[in-house]
Amino acid sequence: MVGHYDENMLPEMLPIYYTRLFPQNIFCRWLTCGSSPQPLSNRELSFTLADDVYLRYLSISNQKELQTLLQKKCPHKLDIGAVYNTKPSIGRHDAVVLSRELVFDIDLTDYDEVRTCCQEAKVCEKCWKFMVIACEIIDKTLKEDFGFQSILWVFSGRRGIHCWVSDYEARTLDSPGRGAVADYLCLIMGGDNQNKKVHLGSDNLHSSIRRALTIIDKYFEQLLQDQEFFSTSDRLDKLLKMIPDETLRSQVQKNLESMPDSSLERWKTFLSLYENYTRESGNNSRKIRYLVEEIKIQYCYPRLDVNVTKGFNHLLKSPFSIHPKTGKVSVVFKPSNAKNMKLDEIPSIYSLLDDSAPDNAQHETNMRTAVKNFQEVVFSLEKAEAIRRKNDANMSIEF
Amino acid sequence: MDLNIRRKSTKVPLTGSLVETYPHDLQMYKIPPIEDITLQEFENLALERVTLLRSLATATTLKGLRMYSEEWTDYVIGELRTQGLKYYAKLCEKSSCATTEADLQARRKDHIAHFILRLAYCRTEELRRWFVARELELFKMRFATMRGEAIETFFKLNNLCYTSITDEEKSEIIHYLRESTPHPNIENMKFYKVKFYEVLDLVKMRKVYLSGGYAYIAHKDFISVLSAQYRTQLKQSLAVACHHLGEIEQDERLVSLLKGLHQSYSGNDYSSAKAVIPIENLDSFAVKSFPLCMRQLHEQLRVAHHLRHGGRLQYGLFLKGIGVTLEDSLRFWREEFTKLMDLDKFEKQYAYNVRYNYGKEGSKKNYSPFSCLKIINTTVGPGDCHGCPYKHCDVGILKNRLQGYGFDTQAIGEIIDITKKGHFQVACSKYFDAVHHSDLGLGINHPNQYFEESQKIAKGDVKVEIKKEVKSAPVKKEVVDELDEMDFDEVM
Ligand code: SF4
Ligand SMILES: [Zn+2]
Repeated sequence: MVGHYDENMLPEMLPIYYTRLFPQNIFCRWLTCGSSPQPLSNRELSFTLADDVYLRYLSISNQKELQTLLQKKCPHKLDIGAVYNTKPSIGRHDAVVLSRELVFDIDLTDYDEVRTCCQEAKVCEKCWKFMVIACEIIDKTLKEDFGFQSILWVFSGRRGIHCWVSDYEARTLDSPGRGAVADYLCLIMGGDNQNKKVHLGSDNLHSSIRRALTIIDKYFEQLLQDQEFFSTSDRLDKLLKMIPDETLRSQVQKNLESMPDSSLERWKTFLSLYENYTRESGNNSRKIRYLVEEIKIQYCYPRLDVNVTKGFNHLLKSPFSIHPKTGKVSVVFKPSNAKNMKLDEIPSIYSLLDDSAPDNAQHETNMRTAVKNFQEVVFSLEKAEAIRRKNDANMSIEF
Repeated sequence: MDLNIRRKSTKVPLTGSLVETYPHDLQMYKIPPIEDITLQEFENLALERVTLLRSLATATTLKGLRMYSEEWTDYVIGELRTQGLKYYAKLCEKSSCATTEADLQARRKDHIAHFILRLAYCRTEELRRWFVARELELFKMRFATMRGEAIETFFKLNNLCYTSITDEEKSEIIHYLRESTPHPNIENMKFYKVKFYEVLDLVKMRKVYLSGGYAYIAHKDFISVLSAQYRTQLKQSLAVACHHLGEIEQDERLVSLLKGLHQSYSGNDYSSAKAVIPIENLDSFAVKSFPLCMRQLHEQLRVAHHLRHGGRLQYGLFLKGIGVTLEDSLRFWREEFTKLMDLDKFEKQYAYNVRYNYGKEGSKKNYSPFSCLKIINTTVGPGDCHGCPYKHCDVGILKNRLQGYGFDTQAIGEIIDITKKGHFQVACSKYFDAVHHSDLGLGINHPNQYFEESQKIAKGDVKVEIKKEVKSAPVKKEVVDELDEMDFDEVM
């Protein structure tokens, strides 16, 4: 399948894609619900055209206008912004943002300091597992802790995933609220100058952290083997730097350096050294009570771009937009299915529009599934919105 | 608000009515004062409250104390005493509901002064943010010093009625409450169920158990609910006050007084530079006159030919502030970035940001360089190397770096010790002295201030005497410049 992407073909292919394959109807319904009580036309869309020309403050009032706009401009990339108190336009600097989905952006480049298989723009099946973990942890937190229901998961097109929460409460959350949700989810903190980026203290572990650890545990050994986190001396060094206790650190160093390379074996040895050490030093090891958990989290826990979540009007790539570099479709997927996703089975515009492409059939099937996934979320959102509006109406009668 | 200003005081309200108006030391300032006061008293009350709010900011930034810690509160109350503001010291020390004349007068002043400052601080978004952040700190500090009975009364007076969850409900989730609530004796506590957005400060610190969108809080966590309400109410009334400014500002004396109030303390925001600095000199400036946060970014850029967004913003605005022109800035970034990427990509993706920093793109705002407070509170993630090195570097890495710069062991030891205690800006000041072989003990609160102080020495405006005269770090220049801080008002 690989190879025949040619960005120069996009201008020809995109109009066909937008007409035949882009789920315009569901897309408009999703945005309409997500904009209510404001009309769809108050929502900002933005297009990136060929040659990176960037058009902001576009808007549509219905599916027909969307169709026309897509045909006329043929955007290489489609982004979605906030809902304003008026129709968005360039001149209106007084426009106020009234609502916006609560969004999360997880990108594999933020894992560059832990992943060993790829760097920067590259992705492979091995490092995709980081996304699987991220998706599962965030999805559970949003549902169980915050009670959100309308959650859409989207492949970002290259090396990450996006999450859109459309519940009314999430949409209208103010910026301190978004900040708090982001911080609640954010356990890895610190820049390139901090080796240990997770600090869990020594008191009880919060229920949400325990749940995250249970999820990580399902994948941890596999990841250890895939990524070989501790197999070279550089990598081992990173682990050692996370151990604040000097005695333990030198014990670990001595033992692990003289072992075979296998990260899994090294990890097991580390665990038993750690257990012995804490048992013997009793209360003195309070400081490192959660060291094992901290390491697991630093290596596997979701790394969010918190600024995207905190910001109210950060534009984010739309579901089913095409990634101009890879040609891949930003498909909607079910969080429960994230672990079965294969990167080269994600539909690309090239194979979708070319009957003779070897994976044409499979990409078409997967595209249909993606649209179905999208529909499911939108239908339940529509239901929830209807109930909310009914309740609102009842409320106002009572008063 | 209905404040009439008279040249002379006309009436002294009866104590009886004061008891009704001011039953408690702690107020939520829901109703504006209605009484006549003299211009003199107006001015005094305003200035005194600004002093109070400033002492809160100083405790956190210049003294580096942890907010709401005992030392922090002690410092603030000590400051109030030295400044002769006994009534505030009294109100802050332990909030109660006593009714002596002194109590009542203190509350009256507190009440009026708060409303005067609303007028002074409702003018711009930045002023509002600063004011709301300080008033909230004050509120929380005072709530924290309240004792048992006073708390009960406060709740009653403010109609805070929530029903606790049933024992069955509690026993079902007791396991989670124990895990997720940082209080001892969970068993004997009543728990209340509130929406998660009513207690955002607890949510962001993960100090509360959340389930299905609800937060389960203990009685003492109600301060979070209250301060969230107080914040919302305050923000709204500031917005309203702003619209009505015109009506109040008939009186010119008032206008200048109110406008001048914050200005006298706000100092320089460094958004425009005094001199032009050629970029050819940046390498040597980085060594001699940049604070460590900027030196680090400069060196990183030279080595990696790239900086991530946070670094570009922090360093780019700093450069603007010291006097690098837009044209030079573009050239500087272009030269580095294009060592790794082609020119076209730079022009498309990065040049915009450089122009944006100079107010030439987007909302065309003339952005101010970041203050220390903003830098210290900034979020630094993997791959980033901005922020304040005293806060965002491992001590080992910091030490290596300082050794690499060739400082002597004693200076390094001092810097490291202070850093470990969490006094970031004081450590920065030590670094300044180490670089300049001085012993000035400056109060550093802005990287651009650091630069200017360093330039003064370079130009010989300030003579450096190597003498031990100054003991601790005296506050040489107060710059309340954290106005554009986005997250600061959310800091617990
Ligand atoms: S204290 Fe301020 S000037 Fe000094 S390094 Fe930190 S942020 Fe920079
Ligand atoms: Zn990989």
